[in-house]
Amino acid sequence: MALKPVTTPDAEAATIELTIDGEPVSAKEGVSLYDVIASTGRIIPAMCYHYTFDPFGSCGMCLVIQEGKKAPVRSCTAKATAGMVVRTQGEDLIQARKKAVEKHLSVHPLDCPVCDADGHCELQDMAFLHGVTNLANARPKNIPEDTRSLVLDFNMNRCIACGECINICKDVQRIDALQFMKKGGFTQVVAKGDQPLVCEFCGDCLAVCPVGAITNKFSKYAYKPWQLKKTTTTCNYCGDGCQMYLETKDTDVIRVTSFLSWKNKWGDRADTVNGHGGLCVRGRFGFQFIDSPDRLQIPLVRRGDSLVETPWIEALDLAADRLKAIKAAHGPHAIAGVITARCTNEDLYVFQKFMRSVIGTNHLDSSARYGHVNFVRAMRALGATRAMNTSAEITKANTILLVGSDITETNPVASLRIKEAIGVYKAQVIVVDSMVTNIGKLASYPLLITPGTERAFIQGLVKSVVEQDLVDEETVSRFPEAFAALKHAVAALSLDHISALTGVAVDQIHEVARVFAEAPRSIILCGEGVVRQSRGYDTVLALIDLAWVTGKLGRPGCGVSTVTEEANEQGAIDMGVAPEFLPGPVSFDDPVAREKWERAWESPLPPRGEGASLMEIIQLCREGRIKALYLVGENPLATLPESCGIREALANLELLICQDPFLTETAQFAHLVFPACTFAEKEGTLTNQEGKVQFVRPALDPLGESAVDWHIFVGIAQSMGAKMPYTATSDVQAEIRKLLPGYYNLGRSKPVAVQLEPYLENGYRHNVAERYKGYEVAPLPSATASPDTRFHLYLKQVIYHSGKLSTRASGLMKISPNRHLLQMAPEDLASLGLSDGAEIRVSSDRGSVKLQARPDPALPRGVCVYPEHFIEPPVKDLFSVDLDPVTHVPYFKLSQVAIEKA
Amino acid sequence: MKSTSTAKKFWDTVLFREIWDAMKVTFKHMFHRPMTFQYPREKRTIPDTHRGALGLLRYDDGKERCVGCDLCEAACPSRCIKVISEEDKSMPLERYASEFYIDITKCVFCGYCVEACPVNALAMTKLYEYSTHDKRTLLFDKKRLYEIGDRYIEDAKKYLYAHNLEKDDEASRAYRYHFPEPVLKSNDS
Repeated sequence: MALKPVTTPDAEAATIELTIDGEPVSAKEGVSLYDVIASTGRIIPAMCYHYTFDPFGSCGMCLVIQEGKKAPVRSCTAKATAGMVVRTQGEDLIQARKKAVEKHLSVHPLDCPVCDADGHCELQDMAFLHGVTNLANARPKNIPEDTRSLVLDFNMNRCIACGECINICKDVQRIDALQFMKKGGFTQVVAKGDQPLVCEFCGDCLAVCPVGAITNKFSKYAYKPWQLKKTTTTCNYCGDGCQMYLETKDTDVIRVTSFLSWKNKWGDRADTVNGHGGLCVRGRFGFQFIDSPDRLQIPLVRRGDSLVETPWIEALDLAADRLKAIKAAHGPHAIAGVITARCTNEDLYVFQKFMRSVIGTNHLDSSARYGHVNFVRAMRALGATRAMNTSAEITKANTILLVGSDITETNPVASLRIKEAIGVYKAQVIVVDSMVTNIGKLASYPLLITPGTERAFIQGLVKSVVEQDLVDEETVSRFPEAFAALKHAVAALSLDHISALTGVAVDQIHEVARVFAEAPRSIILCGEGVVRQSRGYDTVLALIDLAWVTGKLGRPGCGVSTVTEEANEQGAIDMGVAPEFLPGPVSFDDPVAREKWERAWESPLPPRGEGASLMEIIQLCREGRIKALYLVGENPLATLPESCGIREALANLELLICQDPFLTETAQFAHLVFPACTFAEKEGTLTNQEGKVQFVRPALDPLGESAVDWHIFVGIAQSMGAKMPYTATSDVQAEIRKLLPGYYNLGRSKPVAVQLEPYLENGYRHNVAERYKGYEVAPLPSATASPDTRFHLYLKQVIYHSGKLSTRASGLMKISPNRHLLQMAPEDLASLGLSDGAEIRVSSDRGSVKLQARPDPALPRGVCVYPEHFIEPPVKDLFSVDLDPVTHVPYFKLSQVAIEKA
Repeated sequence: MKSTSTAKKFWDTVLFREIWDAMKVTFKHMFHRPMTFQYPREKRTIPDTHRGALGLLRYDDGKERCVGCDLCEAACPSRCIKVISEEDKSMPLERYASEFYIDITKCVFCGYCVEACPVNALAMTKLYEYSTHDKRTLLFDKKRLYEIGDRYIEDAKKYLYAHNLEKDDEASRAYRYHFPEPVLKSNDS
């Protein structure tokens, strides 16, 4: 409920009785009267009200008569109190509301025909509802339109000063990029300081604007709401899994909207724990890749040096013949496949079934290998396979330990849950990162650590918990042996040494450990700084150690969770697209599971203990033992550093099949290129990082001759003479439903059951001693330069991009083009004698590139950041690939480089 | 039933009375002006309210009236109109119809689109002679509609006048939509 929300989820407001239209109604004390009236099903018009923020009371529409008051009162800003007698209907109220509409209309231009909000405008609706036909004193404002922002146009002639945009930016997004300003005699909404708007461009202000005052530059004047076909689907960019409406006209995507709108204004503030229904900049403005002119439309086959357009039948037969020939000559293990985790669950399932039962190889992997596998493998020790917490639990946590995750950049909508926890529920948030992140600025304990020391810091926390005796007696007494082993393991650690290593004072480590351990509901959230950095698997295990000794495992509202970069990384694991997993996921070597799947697929599985993951596949390609590689949506040439020999590996192949919506760098090397559909043309499901399975629905027909990914797998399988009797997505779904009962628990994630016993009682002792032995930072490949010019270079995600896919979206490229900018601490820039925009040479032992320097006050000295999304210049090639010894995850996000003036 | 005498029946039969009655009408028409027109040599005068082919109009300064608001498409009961609008590249912030189609084979000439148009950009003319051997030419595009509008501008104005939509050029200017100016770009960008 709005107005004064309860500051802690544990407190329950008192229940009161009041009378509305003669009916007795019970409500919570202190909430807005408007909410109480709305909860009885009465709809009172209101133009400035939205449930996600506190009532603002500017429109004057929600008038009701309260007994004992002479004039009508605004119900939104009035608090419900006991014994209130309220009337919500009557001719006098209609006249009073009509006056308010007339007031707004008298300074509103009658430009509905050219307004993008025409037909989706609250002022229009209200004028119709109240029969406003005659405006005696209308005077237009004649304010010029503010088109300075890259994304949004502000036409303040149409503004009714409801303040919804300002409130949602301040209360929900906590960015506060907009403000009211009195200009030219009118109150106008302007970006802070009347500058061109520069913000995260989530577009929530656009969604809640009840009139056409804020409009979208990318679809300006291109539509009227009634022309658009609205398809509810799931966003394909990150693991948050936001629901969105793709609005299409014929074959074009015109705009993207979501549930968040001025139309859906009635709700309970407590509902926002499951998301406020909004989107981020990628979801809302990054749709242009769907109908991009660069999309592949016809299969391409290599003839000599060029790729030639070929009919589907011919291309499929060619692929099948070549695969069959390679299988016959070198055995099925000479074939490998890698698929992107942006595909739907159905694509992923059919892909692994195709590789395992039709080809007969277990050399298959997905892009979850870039990090999420670390988390899943660690969780499997506890019998779980994914993040433990739902967004509701994160919102209502008392303490959130956010490790190595710039969550506002990587998963902007998930970060709103933490922002709500901070702002509404007053949670303590501990942010551990090597730079000042946006969430760190809001957090109560922002800790800056030396790059690459996340694991040492976590182990320091574990030691501090043991030292300060903050352990949970109940859990520890259940597992005395395991605790003794852990105690023994951390005894060798020195907090002073860890403090020197991480750059965090011992007192601070102790304080943070106390805050974390003493809260009844603590959640650990880890991101790319943990799972994508050296020995990430061990770091996640250390996080689990921290959670279990403080008794945070198995308790409601506690747990260890992660955020994922791609939309369906969790689904890729669940569908068994990894050499170590069968769908479920269960271990590939588990004899019971193997028998089940062999029986279901009516074909033997590849032998146990076999199977190569991503980096091993590349190694085998280099050695010439893999002859054919099937890449679905993956672009390793643009993703992996040159130093892992990817170019050599691809050149060694006899057959490289690429299946992608675009002709990527890798596809240009391919022998066969199949045009695939984007998510907007597919039917299927995606599993988000919480384990929610959500629908993807086709908004458009496939572009040209491009085809859905699993159709192509089935096509090749049938050309090879194998049986894959799927004709519709529902056939694949039926098979998954049958074999993985309960997986399609659509929209809800199954609660994660944690079993501590098997983990802590078997082999934990040895394991923990091993893990805490070498807590030194893995030596980073040092550049050949003096320490003065040596820097830590991070490859980071930025909010405006996701993987390489978003660089195909013209809107996002307009917001965040490739400027070849390396962000550095201003002090470093000064000490190197560089100015903003100076040409610099960044070099490592792997080579050097030329970039431009840009000061970023968020960075500490010695740290610099480059966005990982841009291929040119090849900054990624400066990195060496470090393999995880257990999970074989490649780490190439952090390196040491030398920087000098070019 | 009226009983007629046998004698009357006899004389009617002998004198072919029915024939004379019928011929009376025929001979009367010999002294009338002819009812038919010798189309296409002769054409009839058409009233101003006549609903003929649709045309798109311009203001007297030559600017297209249509702002691409799509209300005609929404009002059309036979769904024969298609409007594609966008921002005018040469005139920032001005909305116009980049494409405009009327499938005249589907049109039922109800005139709702003209009623719906907020800037009176559409009008019906007295043009009805557009029969063709090629049905595809009956999908009127924007160019053809403006040609019709330019050529039959007088008809269109009379139509709008007769339907109480627009009195004169003065009234057309009153309906004209004036777009706001963009804020000047700041110096640094």
